[in-house]
Amino acid sequence: MKPAEVRKRARARAAELERLAHDPRYLRVIGRLVREGLLVANHEVPAFDGPFRLDEALFAGSVEPRVLELLPALILKQPSLLVHPLDVPADLLEVLKDLRSQRRPRPFRGIPGEDMERWLPRTGRKGKLPSRLKSFRFTAEDQRLLRSLADELELSETEVIRRGLRALI
Amino acid sequence: MLVEIARKLDRWIVDQNVLLVEEGLLRHAACSIRLLGQSALIEANLGLRLLATRDVDVRADYDDAVRLEFARLLALAGRELDPLGHEVWMPRETRYAELFRGKFVHLLLAEPEAVLLSKALKAPVKNKQLITQYLSTIANERFFELARKYRVDLEPFT
Repeated sequence: MKPAEVRKRARARAAELERLAHDPRYLRVIGRLVREGLLVANHEVPAFDGPFRLDEALFAGSVEPRVLELLPALILKQPSLLVHPLDVPADLLEVLKDLRSQRRPRPFRGIPGEDMERWLPRTGRKGKLPSRLKSFRFTAEDQRLLRSLADELELSETEVIRRGLRALI
Repeated sequence: MLVEIARKLDRWIVDQNVLLVEEGLLRHAACSIRLLGQSALIEANLGLRLLATRDVDVRADYDDAVRLEFARLLALAGRELDPLGHEVWMPRETRYAELFRGKFVHLLLAEPEAVLLSKALKAPVKNKQLITQYLSTIANERFFELARKYRVDLEPFT
């Protein structure tokens, strides 16, 4: 395709994108992410303080894919940015499952897994990765010991177990 | 913003070098920092509406202490030095414009045509809208020339 033809066709597509960039759903999501310092804009973006809906984020991500890059980490590490309950589509659910299990997720709507993965320790509480729920059976004596250590050390019971694990390394 | 950070970094190196010389230690050498990626496009002030994540991609030849100070200064400004920034692919012919030259810090800006070519070639989906915006407004012969050379199919961006 010749440059003149490329420019002409791109102009038609850009006009459509420009229209989408004025959609209130897009503006709410971008406004909040810029306010949070998660995105940087070189133009004026109306600030938005409230949480946004997941479907709004997915729409904004179809216009600006960097939103999709951040979205899984936001759901896991900064859920207060979103309106709950979340109606998570199947493809995003798979990404969340992978991230929770600390596996590299498959690409999501064109965004490579590593691009989404790298935001996990960098959003919400920095350096923290998602934890997983695990069930154990404790005897009454184990439970008494756990409670007593937690009281004595002024820690949560989970933190007592974490420290105990590290002491065994 | 990045020019101001480069200026602060330059001052920091000057001060550190005074102390290092007094202690008989090796001084920090002069370094060049090449700004790549979306941050380079924002700094280039192209008139495009741009959004970027807060990470900054650079290729630099500074020592580790200077890198840490640069990362600290970026963090104070709400930005983050991408640890993998130096892995960004750029065409061999990329030209760099000088943004700032201090005593020890030379900040260079990758030309927008090369940055956009890199994005079109290596991450087309993530940058589709950006490339479309560029093609519809300020795309120049230099970009088309690079796109031909590196066989970038521009059709998906139209």
